[in-house]
Amino acid sequence: MIAQAGRNVAALDAASRRSRTATRARKRREALTAYLLIAPAFLLFLGFIAGPLAGSFALSLFSYDLLNPAHYIGLANYRQLLHDHLALKSLEVTFIFTAASLVLHVIVGLALALSVHRKMPAALRYVLRTAFFFPVLISWAVVSLIAEYTLDPNFGFVTYYLGKIGIHNVGWFTNPHTALGAIIGVDLWHTVGFTFLVLLAGLQAIPRELYEAARVDGAGARRTFFSITLPLLSPSLFFVSVISIIGAFQIFEPVHIITLGGPGDSTESIVQYIYQVGFTQLQMGYAATLGLVLFFILLLVTLVQFGLSKRWVHYDLGD
Amino acid sequence: MSAVGYASSPVRRRSKTRRIKPTVANVVLLAIAILMLLPVGWLVIQSLLGTGSALRVPPVWVPTHPTTANYRQVDQLIPFFTFLWNSVKITLIVTTGAVATSALAAYAFAKLEFPGKNLLFIVLLCAIMVPNQVTAAPTYVLMHRLGLSTSQVAVWLPGLVNVFGIFLLRQFFRGIPKELEEAGRLDGLSTMGVLFRIVLPLSKHALAALAILVGSATWNDYFWPSIYLTDRHEMTLPVGLITLYGLYHQGSPVVIFAAISMTVVPLLVVFLFAQRAMTESLTMTGFK
Repeated sequence: MIAQAGRNVAALDAASRRSRTATRARKRREALTAYLLIAPAFLLFLGFIAGPLAGSFALSLFSYDLLNPAHYIGLANYRQLLHDHLALKSLEVTFIFTAASLVLHVIVGLALALSVHRKMPAALRYVLRTAFFFPVLISWAVVSLIAEYTLDPNFGFVTYYLGKIGIHNVGWFTNPHTALGAIIGVDLWHTVGFTFLVLLAGLQAIPRELYEAARVDGAGARRTFFSITLPLLSPSLFFVSVISIIGAFQIFEPVHIITLGGPGDSTESIVQYIYQVGFTQLQMGYAATLGLVLFFILLLVTLVQFGLSKRWVHYDLGD
Repeated sequence: MSAVGYASSPVRRRSKTRRIKPTVANVVLLAIAILMLLPVGWLVIQSLLGTGSALRVPPVWVPTHPTTANYRQVDQLIPFFTFLWNSVKITLIVTTGAVATSALAAYAFAKLEFPGKNLLFIVLLCAIMVPNQVTAAPTYVLMHRLGLSTSQVAVWLPGLVNVFGIFLLRQFFRGIPKELEEAGRLDGLSTMGVLFRIVLPLSKHALAALAILVGSATWNDYFWPSIYLTDRHEMTLPVGLITLYGLYHQGSPVVIFAAISMTVVPLLVVFLFAQRAMTESLTMTGFK
């Protein structure tokens, strides 16, 4: 009996060992397939994302102009940064632009979304969606040219009609007091359609029953907006804020194409400054240092946003 | 619209009155929509006018004698169709490449088990928030060392990996029920068979959305092409148009208007037909 049981146990053991080896072999095969599947993306990631990021730290310790051999200068680039007025000015310009862009996109985008999210003829809705969204598809290069020409002091039709309603300006992009504002306006025209569309989709996802329940409970329009619409729209609002901020921090094309940072340094954004230092002055080490500054600012801003989002973004219907 | 199907007359009457008496809000909205499109409209109209009537203030809004002279001049000033072909080529390479590498990696992260999976995914995720302008200098130095700094390869090669695409598709693939894969396995499909026969066919919308996102970003990119593409015959449309502007904006803005119209009008036509796909692809990214 005992021997029999022993044999049974041994047989069972062998079987389970066999199946375990089989499972292990299958697992190993699966892992191998997985690594092969990830390999193309991961190698490119190492070469063109992680590598250059690590390279930024190294390059920031060197003086390098592509023509002469790089030479090690320690933290000199970082010391230069502290006394570089144009770098500080570019941070200021970028922060002002980002704040204005965020506020305007959210307010105008929300106003447009709320006004389209009503009963209206389907054809009108189609026309509105098309018109508001279409500028988003145009490249920044073409948008910059459109802005430059429509706001031209001599023949620009926008300048002409603004003059007719009493807003006179000789040159929107050549006056240091208006250039940054003009770029903020052009950016709003270009991308508010995206904010509008995301918020409209968010509004359409709010269950209709909630509004009916609120009406039955006697809630007014104001109360309904602040207790139902706004909290349930918060994930969409959060999403558009993150996207707007990241996009705004990288503002480059209209500055580079229309004003080249001027007049004076009134529109010098941080990416324009990186471009100028790196590709006009060929100071690769200092450009890498400036890139790292932008990287850490974006990292900090994103972390703060996600931290704050816990207080105001509601992902479920429960209160 | 929906009221048309109902037989009860009050509903129909109400919908009729709405059609006849548009609200003030609708008129205001329509006016805003027209204002949004007006800059493009002005540009296209001016590009059709002769030298005497273009760029006048107050502007001419109705081209009574439209001419194609400006359009014919575009081709003399810049190799427009070379720019167009370069843009098409680079956009196709980046879009197919990025969608392919993203789909393969996303499948591994969503459906397979392997050591180091979470760590690798977190490493990739960290890169989502890193705009590539941040690393402009070291990336350029890298391309310079590789001898690619004036080549189109430098423009499309880094675009073949798209961390956001991996994340988007992984989220989508995770939503595909396990039972479907298991049924496929019982039918004798391998791991790759499950990917190509089950997962990818069920993800057409997500793949199309990613293709539209990557494609439009590549088509519109100015930063990298302006750095690398210095030879006229290598340039993409955005860089080429800016070069045209740099050379000729003193003399003949309307020719530049014609070139701009040649890029924007086809875009509007495509958008009118593919509006749903294009707008859904942009909004779906926020809801996963």
